[in-house]
Amino acid sequence: MRRYETIFILRPSVNEDEINTIVENSSAIIEKDNGKIIDLDRWGMRKLAYPIKKEFQGFYIFLDYSGIPEAVAEMERKFRIDDAVLRYMTVKTADVITEDEIVEAIAQAANKQVSFAESATDESNIDDTDISEENDSFEDDEDESEEV
Amino acid sequence: MAPRPQQKRLFSRKKVCRFCADKEQLIDYKDIKTLRNFVSERGKIIPRRIVGTCASHQRQLCEAIKRARHIALLPYSGNVQG
Repeated sequence: MRRYETIFILRPSVNEDEINTIVENSSAIIEKDNGKIIDLDRWGMRKLAYPIKKEFQGFYIFLDYSGIPEAVAEMERKFRIDDAVLRYMTVKTADVITEDEIVEAIAQAANKQVSFAESATDESNIDDTDISEENDSFEDDEDESEEV
Repeated sequence: MAPRPQQKRLFSRKKVCRFCADKEQLIDYKDIKTLRNFVSERGKIIPRRIVGTCASHQRQLCEAIKRARHIALLPYSGNVQG
């Protein structure tokens, strides 16, 4: 078993149900080969640093898991086919992970999420304001065009 | 060539690698806040001779920044804040 981290970005137009099915599909692939999901974190909507496939925002999902290389290959194959996935990246964080380490990592991830949520609230607020500002400017543009 | 004694001694503060000084701080591609410190305004990686990180940490930094760029957390070029 190896330990991997995968981040993938979904189109902002994708709705809740579709997000759930994509997440369930990928976790099913991992668990099929006795892999374990250590941490699943939905970062939510973020502004992209540069446009990907003409999208300026993306829905980030972070997965931390143990698994075999074949599971990663299969998951990435699915991502490539799926039109809703803008970008994905898998990073190997450990070559070997034992059962005990998995249990420990799961506990650690649960702890971290609490502290992470507290610190992340500030950042998410900033992001929200950015997005709302953008929307405002768009509206302004529209108004002007109407007047003309 | 004749030696040039004490000519190149300009005023320079000795730079210390930030990651060697603080062992707790790990380089992670998800941690954009710290990565931003090692990227210029236009999104370029700042060279080691300016930021003063040690060789091994600069290598790790480079890798982290490139990963962050791939998943659109940092820009390849352009304003870092935007």
